[in-house]
Amino acid sequence: MTVCAPASVDELQTLVRVSERIHAIGKGSKTALHRRVNGAVLADLSALSGIIEYQPSEYTVTVRAGTPVRDLSAALRERGQYLPCDPLLPDSATLGGTVAGNLSGSRRYRYGGVRDFILGAEVVDGMGRAFRVGGKVVKNSAGFDLSKFLVGSLGAYAIMTELTFKVFPDVPRFRSLAVDYTSLEDALAAIYFINQNIFELDALDLIPLAGRWRLLTRLAGFDETLPRRVERFSAAMTHHTSLLHLAELDESATLWDPLADLTGAYLVKVALSPKQVPAFDHAITAAQRRYGVGANVAWVADEDLSQLVDALKACSLTGLCLRGAVQSAIIGAPLENVLAARVKQVLDPLGKLV
Amino acid sequence: MNQAFLKSLRNIYPAERLLTRDVELLPYESDALTAFSAVPGAVVLPVNEAEIIDTVRLCHKLAVPFVARGSGTSLSGGSLPIPDGLTIGLNRLNRIKRIDPEQRIAVVEPGVINLAITEAAQPYGLYYAPDPSSQSICTIGGNIAFNSGGAHCLKYGMTSNHVLGMRVVLADGAVTQFGSESIEGVGIGPDLIGLFVGSEGLFGIALEITVRLMPQPELYRTVLAAYDDLGRAGDAVSMVVASGLLPGAMEIMDLLAIKAAEASVQAGYPDAEALLIIELEGEAPQVEAEFDQLRGIIDQSGAFETRVANDEEERTRIWKGRKGAFSAVGRLSPDYVVQDGVVPRSRLGEALVEISALKAKYQLDVANVFHAGDGNLHPLILYDGREAGALEKAEALAGEILALCIRLGGSITGEHGIGMEKRDYLPAMFSEEEIEIMQMLRLAIDPNEIANRGKMFPGGEAPALAQHGMHPLERAGVISRE
Ligand SMILES: Cc1cc2nc3c(=O)[nH]c(=O)nc-3n(C[C@H](O)[C@H](O)[C@H](O)COP(=O)(O)OP(=O)(O)OC[C@H]3O[C@@H](n4cnc5c(N)ncnc54)[C@H](O)[C@@H]3O)c2cc1C
Repeated sequence: MTVCAPASVDELQTLVRVSERIHAIGKGSKTALHRRVNGAVLADLSALSGIIEYQPSEYTVTVRAGTPVRDLSAALRERGQYLPCDPLLPDSATLGGTVAGNLSGSRRYRYGGVRDFILGAEVVDGMGRAFRVGGKVVKNSAGFDLSKFLVGSLGAYAIMTELTFKVFPDVPRFRSLAVDYTSLEDALAAIYFINQNIFELDALDLIPLAGRWRLLTRLAGFDETLPRRVERFSAAMTHHTSLLHLAELDESATLWDPLADLTGAYLVKVALSPKQVPAFDHAITAAQRRYGVGANVAWVADEDLSQLVDALKACSLTGLCLRGAVQSAIIGAPLENVLAARVKQVLDPLGKLV
Repeated sequence: MNQAFLKSLRNIYPAERLLTRDVELLPYESDALTAFSAVPGAVVLPVNEAEIIDTVRLCHKLAVPFVARGSGTSLSGGSLPIPDGLTIGLNRLNRIKRIDPEQRIAVVEPGVINLAITEAAQPYGLYYAPDPSSQSICTIGGNIAFNSGGAHCLKYGMTSNHVLGMRVVLADGAVTQFGSESIEGVGIGPDLIGLFVGSEGLFGIALEITVRLMPQPELYRTVLAAYDDLGRAGDAVSMVVASGLLPGAMEIMDLLAIKAAEASVQAGYPDAEALLIIELEGEAPQVEAEFDQLRGIIDQSGAFETRVANDEEERTRIWKGRKGAFSAVGRLSPDYVVQDGVVPRSRLGEALVEISALKAKYQLDVANVFHAGDGNLHPLILYDGREAGALEKAEALAGEILALCIRLGGSITGEHGIGMEKRDYLPAMFSEEEIEIMQMLRLAIDPNEIANRGKMFPGGEAPALAQHGMHPLERAGVISRE
């Protein structure tokens, strides 16, 4: 396999033009996404890195696609800001990879995912054309919004070289609570209660434990208001849901890493709705799983993929495999869509981008 | 109109839902950008998805151009008919098919009125967040076409950020769906919702839409601050933004807009050069603490008067003047152009200074109403259409404002879209190659260019500019500007 590391957009354009098949990688943090396609050139984008423009007063930031999430987060933190879509792999991913995979962590619950915070991009398409999509200001409805289309596109339509995001002020303090239930049904009922209530949680994950289901919840805000909010939230959960146990947890480094305990050889993301969780959970045998973002995303790890693929198909769900040896990162129910195919026809008519 | 086409339409529609007589077509000849008008060849009023699909397929087969139309409140000429083309009126597809409060979603037909979703969700303590000022009449289908926004889009985004799934018929008749009931929407694979929303009716017609609902905030804190200088109000916005507060809304109105609002809804606003409305929303303890901080900032911002809404009634009064500002300006002037441009938030002050210079240069009045929190300007340019050349002068001024937005690094439209009005400005924002790629995309989806032909892309035949007048639906008594 040939690996090339273009040092500029120009070089990337040339590389695309001369290659028959090409696949872009950021830092390769999601190994399964970089399946080996016969003869494909790997375009390593790590040289296209760095923050291009960051104006804290504007709450927007433009970075090269190969910029490590870690670097951007550090720059934002210095100014009391953050990227609310909460990139999933804060220590190993690049922003290009985060957008291409549409990978958000638990804090995405509060304000939205990658699609809600991307404003624009510079790309190189399958014809080697370099152009801009979207804009650089927080509001823009001119032209077709191809920047959102890039979210989840896995590099198959165009290679991103530059990305613009909107960011938000970060909150000073967090408090995390574990609320445990005897059954999945009770835990989901508690989520439905929260969904129709006034509590503005920063994150809400659902985790199976031995003999229990845990709602892992987090409140964020000012120091002086948190005690009162924690108290109100705890009281409401105690009175209105059939909980087993409620306790405050220390904000450890891994508490809110949805993947921390998912060590299996294969790691898969599934987008599903809370009401699809019981059937899906019943269909899979994998013990390692966590339902993030108010039970709207499943993270599943297993030693074997075939059972999970069957379960996904049975539930008409599609998964994205992030880790493990797979032919295609997309598993389960097929994704083909006529609108996506039309875009492919325009941006990559020769099918170079894989 | 093509007789074979009309004949086939008759197989789909009963006579009362297929309009072809001049008097029936008249109410459809413009949208809210009344400077443009065109008479469609026919109007059809489908009542279900199957009729829409059959109609689009027929249009594709016979290469007859069509325009989907919600309530016709577009301010950019988006729903302007195509001369001799077909207008597909979607108002009768107005069912809310399902509300699932537990998962906080609603599944609706495209002709559902924006506010109707909130009304249906209210009993569950939920609401539909994007709130264009036209929310009591505009449809979700129209909102999708333009990615419409409103005053309360700072925290949770515009239409695109609230659509989770949709079924659409593409312009070539293919029916497809994407997204889900998960908050992740599309989740896996390219975000087709993000692409379709904002495509201005050029890709096809949205048939069914799944939107997310939000819990109604426990508490609102609404502040109205009055300034004797527009720049000072702009600076106050910068101060709030810099403080790290994240209000639900930040809106500014200038002297002329205030006057108009007063004349029309008697909002009881103070006599000021500029008014700033800031609203905090969320959990009560947090909002109270943020409000203390906000007060400190407003106190230092040089406001000569500050009012706080103490109850829902006072809050409604503060908002009433702002939400009715566009139509209120109609009282001050026989005609006006509503502009929509975006500048980086930190350059808002600069933009306002330049707009007042332009006002002087063109000797036209401009009322400014804007979503200050996201740099979205809505200058309302007043003119008298009975004066020869007045409209052209107003259009020229509008053009300079757009050029200014681009120069400052912003956009030529934040929420009203390109439509018919701004076609010729698209090249000022995108390169030739970028426009060509958009055009190729359009052709890949719509080889006959039948969906909303003549909109968004520069060039093409423009219908004659009318001098002035009321919206045809207003004339027909269907809508009013109150
Ligand atoms: C007084 C006033 C205040 C306004 N305030 C705001 C505001 O605050 N924020 C804002 O963003 N806009 C505002 N607008 C503009 C306008 O209301 C919005 O653009 C709105 O979304 C249009 O909805 P509609 O149903 O009237 O659409 P129409 O005008 O009927 O159509 C608009 C476009 O949508 C397309 N379309 C309609 N239905 C569909 C469908 N089902 N599928 C695909 N395409 C479709 C049409 O072809 C057309 O291109 C305002 C307008 C007025 C008159």
